[in-house]
Amino acid sequence: MDRPLTVLGIESSCDDTAAAVVRDGDAPQILSNVVSSQTDLHAAFGGVVPEIAARAHAEKLDLCVEQALAEAGLTLAGIDAIAVTAGPGLIGGVLSGVMCAKGIAAGTGLPLVGVNHLAGHALTPRLTDRLAFPYLMLLVSGGHCQFLIVHAPDRFTRLGGTIDDAPGEAFDKTAKLLGLPQPGGPAVEAAARAGDAARFAFPRPLLDRPGCDMSFSGLKTALLRERDKLIAAQGGLFEVDRADLCAGFQRAVADVLEEKTRRALALYLAQTPKTPTIAVAGGVAANGAIRSALQRLASEHGVGFTAPPLALCTDNAAMIAWAGIERLRLGPADDGMTLAARPRWPLDNAAPAMLGSGKRGAKA
Amino acid sequence: MATLLAFDTAAAQCAAALLTDGRIVATRRTEMSRGQAEALMPLLQEVLAEAGAGWSDLDAIGVGVGPGNFTGIRIAVSAARGLALSLGIPAIGVSGFEALADGTDADLVSLPAPRGMVYVQAVADGQTIGDPAQLAPDAVGALTACHVLGTDSVRLAAAIGAARSTERDLSGIATGIAHVAAARLSDPGFDRTLRPAPLYLRPADAAPPREAPPVMLG
Repeated sequence: MDRPLTVLGIESSCDDTAAAVVRDGDAPQILSNVVSSQTDLHAAFGGVVPEIAARAHAEKLDLCVEQALAEAGLTLAGIDAIAVTAGPGLIGGVLSGVMCAKGIAAGTGLPLVGVNHLAGHALTPRLTDRLAFPYLMLLVSGGHCQFLIVHAPDRFTRLGGTIDDAPGEAFDKTAKLLGLPQPGGPAVEAAARAGDAARFAFPRPLLDRPGCDMSFSGLKTALLRERDKLIAAQGGLFEVDRADLCAGFQRAVADVLEEKTRRALALYLAQTPKTPTIAVAGGVAANGAIRSALQRLASEHGVGFTAPPLALCTDNAAMIAWAGIERLRLGPADDGMTLAARPRWPLDNAAPAMLGSGKRGAKA
Repeated sequence: MATLLAFDTAAAQCAAALLTDGRIVATRRTEMSRGQAEALMPLLQEVLAEAGAGWSDLDAIGVGVGPGNFTGIRIAVSAARGLALSLGIPAIGVSGFEALADGTDADLVSLPAPRGMVYVQAVADGQTIGDPAQLAPDAVGALTACHVLGTDSVRLAAAIGAARSTERDLSGIATGIAHVAAARLSDPGFDRTLRPAPLYLRPADAAPPREAPPVMLG
């Protein structure tokens, strides 16, 4: 191993403002990992409001960077490079992060590395578990849902993904429809614990079609229909109704993810990887029902399973710093002062654009 | 004496000025409606290079905080805060009203607002007074006669019966920012820990959910 690299990471692509310092070496070390959440700012709106997020990022980024340096016990003189999320994501926040990073890079003369947010998630198992390439990654969060074979820090094959909502978004909307608090994932999971998953017949979208693509928006519509039937009949919902609706919804999401993962795994195993492993990342990977379904699947196939700790599954800047380190290990890198922020930035440009990704091309 | 770099991307431009010892020694301005995030830093490097200066020569940053295009404001403010952090120097937020009023005897400064409106703020001796307001240039009742300066100032002055008007666009804003920031920097009471924050003047476009949560029974 060459001289250890110490990289400052900056992340602001959704509703978390984050900065972190990561050092590689014989074992990667997270020297600090600061995440300032905006959950409270968006709570009243039942979802992330892009303009509110952008405003908060612009006034928090430098504070988070200062805190990350202080917690790492370093000044910028101890940093070798700046890594910043340059997309995909909500463009206002990404822009603020990129401009703050440019200001820091200009003032210090340090190289600036623009990181793909999805690569940050996809490479996290190498930071936490030193996973060997190639591995199968299910990235499942509030904004994303895709299967990737991760071959190298800069080489990904997308096997499939959602053609509409991400599961995290569907959990949030379910919570909203049922009067549960945001973020919806933990609230729905908690309510589902007491519920009967078999009471409502929810669809398993796209399971009847070949391939690894998924759809979750119809599930939300089905939930709304069942909810409205109950309200029409009784004038409201009983706790048991809400628990059963949550359990049925969660089971449907877990079933879809399990079956589609089975298909992705077959495609991945056909490439005869040396140490076959499934890794998950993204906030939805924290869901117990989904995680145990995937674990079961992995052990059925004698395949390794790894899920980073929750703080490194959800949005954070340690993964951005780490992706920067991986990129710098491939060779000298400096994206310089003309680095552009990109709302859309697919990891795998060779894969066909997913349905519903709009006329401006694939989002992710 | 101080060297201060001022810049602004609140309007459809990247504008920068370098001030040394109270004198503007270099300026640059490129009109653009998009691409400011890519163009700003190279433009700042050009301004420094023209004056034979480097980042480490700076004693402070002056940054335009708006009002103006929300995204544009955040581009400049975020860069200013990053530069301030890495250089260990203050970043001083200057509003468009303060920048335009610099060096004039204007009493009211107007700036472009969406949908044909203007933002106005009263000024006296270069200091802004009270809160800015948004108004339609033709729809104002009579105010005391004054010198109106800025966007649509002729119409605005006519509508309020003002004595004088000066039409002034934003092409010279970086120079104004530099002067105002330098004056603030040299004030003995200047607080170096203050950070520039965007001046939006309009709340974020967001509505709470229309649908009420279901009634819980039992």
